Amino acid sequence: MSDKMRIMVVDDEMIVRESFYHWFTKYGHAVETAASGEEALEKLENRQFDLLFVDIKMPGMDGLELLDRVKTEYPETFVVIITAYGSIESAVKAMKSGASDYLLKPFKPDHINLVMEKINQQKVLTAEYDYLKQQLGEVTRFDDIIGQSPPMVEVFETIPEIADTDAYVLLTGETGTGKELVAKAIHAKSHRANFPFIAINCGAMAESLLESELFGHTKGAFTGAHKNRKGFLEVVSGGTLFLDEIGEISMKMQVDLLRVLEEKKIQRIGSHQPIDVDFRLICASSRNLDELIRAGTFREDFYYRINVIEIRIPTLRERKADIPLLIRHFLKKYSQETTKHVDHVDASAEQLLKSYDWPGNVRELENAIERAVVLSKSRTLSARDFSFLKPAQFSDAGGRTLLDVEKRHIKGVLDECGWNISQAARILDINRSTLHKKINKYELRQ
Amino acid sequence: MKPRKRHTVGILALGPVPEIVLKIVAAHVSGYLDLPACFLPQMALPRECLDERRGQYDAAKLINHLKSQSFAGCTKVLALLDDDLFVPIFTHIFGEAQQGGTHAVISLSRLKDLEDGAKSTDADFYERTAKVALHELGHLLDLFHCQDPACFMHFSGAIETLDAISMGFCPYCKSYLQQACLLVEPLPVDR
Repeated sequence: MSDKMRIMVVDDEMIVRESFYHWFTKYGHAVETAASGEEALEKLENRQFDLLFVDIKMPGMDGLELLDRVKTEYPETFVVIITAYGSIESAVKAMKSGASDYLLKPFKPDHINLVMEKINQQKVLTAEYDYLKQQLGEVTRFDDIIGQSPPMVEVFETIPEIADTDAYVLLTGETGTGKELVAKAIHAKSHRANFPFIAINCGAMAESLLESELFGHTKGAFTGAHKNRKGFLEVVSGGTLFLDEIGEISMKMQVDLLRVLEEKKIQRIGSHQPIDVDFRLICASSRNLDELIRAGTFREDFYYRINVIEIRIPTLRERKADIPLLIRHFLKKYSQETTKHVDHVDASAEQLLKSYDWPGNVRELENAIERAVVLSKSRTLSARDFSFLKPAQFSDAGGRTLLDVEKRHIKGVLDECGWNISQAARILDINRSTLHKKINKYELRQ
Repeated sequence: MKPRKRHTVGILALGPVPEIVLKIVAAHVSGYLDLPACFLPQMALPRECLDERRGQYDAAKLINHLKSQSFAGCTKVLALLDDDLFVPIFTHIFGEAQQGGTHAVISLSRLKDLEDGAKSTDADFYERTAKVALHELGHLLDLFHCQDPACFMHFSGAIETLDAISMGFCPYCKSYLQQACLLVEPLPVDR
């Protein structure tokens, strides 16, 4: 027995718990005891254990039931079954359910050492397995973009193909899908990787500020320009410029940028001196640029210039298979960042997170998990830890027709008001009889 | 700083125990740990600690019984008995001590002969007794089980593994003991 372990002894007999306790403390292990399966599960919720010794016969939850629960919810915890009433049937059942060993009380003192040696070997093997699994996990990750669903695999395959060209790239996809991460990945795989990567959110800046930030200015060019300043188009020299929400820039800025892309030269504001620039442009938009062109707010020539290669980043709704992988990633991230040991979601939470529509995509999922981890008092997140998610966004709430939306909205308001008809009618700005009619029409029930 | 006092180890016979065995244990305590050992008057084995069904003495009950007795002048007590000992989870034990506690019990019952019934010499029996006594005293001095198979603090549940242990503590346990034996907490006032 080399490594010290955190062990819990679960037995309804106090003398057995005490015997184990004194025995394991002689090896320097941290030992806790529980008198029932229920108490053991409570302790497991709050603390990680390496090994459990579990008696089969206990009032309430028996040892085999506890074994099942532990192996489902805490598969990394080893369980040794102990019993004074051994039978081949129970031994086979225990081993099939994932027990590491099966001991008949009382056992020879040397026997427990053999069991502990075996557990240690299993621990080493598990650690090796986890390491290899992590290595395999790297295959499903691409520079912090996580996913193994077919739409994401397609994105992963495209990135190295286009990274080493200088072709301009347009990333499209809803907000929160990870467009900037893809842009960073393209930059990281390109020959420009050792030069700057600069990201600018065009939607977050006023036109004059964006112009100054991109092109720079000379001293006295405008009020407040106290000295010469390089713009990002110069600073990024040799690297990659990522312009997010490109659909938000003005027609004038589109013309200015188009000229820069064609001439590879800029002029700082307040100067006529042309400066050579060298950068790769990656643009992104969560808006439909075709519609903006049709609406006359986006230039077609600029669109074709920046859209040499288009990569569409799938929404989280389109890659729900990646949700468990993302959950594990964010749990690990925020458990480390917050030093709170929250490392599991139970089946109810996983089901809920899979059924949610995630209008804010991966960013919303990340925020949800961060919030749940911060507020959680146990190491396992359950569905109630995600009660803040908007009910209307659950995909099992119905379809997407206008009637479906109205039905969901009315139901949501009624639920919010505790089915107080007057209050709900006020919020919906309809009279009570109309609300009653709609309740009957949609067959809504409390 | 309060004056510190070194441990004094009381050697106690619970029921009839050969005097030579008690003397050997005392000599090993003094020889290996440089601690004074004194002989305590023999006590009768408390019948209430006997588990009739198993025909063995319950080590935890014996230790609790010893805790209720007064052993003036001793900070640690090693009690030896000729009967078999157990703790509920094990078929038998050679000795038992609580980690960092004050009282330990040592059974001579299984130290005399090998499990297959083969007879041992007196010298083997005395050596095994000394090893178990020093092992349990190590626990009283808060030493954990040791991975070194040659160290007194290595666990042995069978005579064969006990015989494989050398006569000595490993360097790590020895280093710990040097501190534990010299820097002793002051005696409790109720002693």
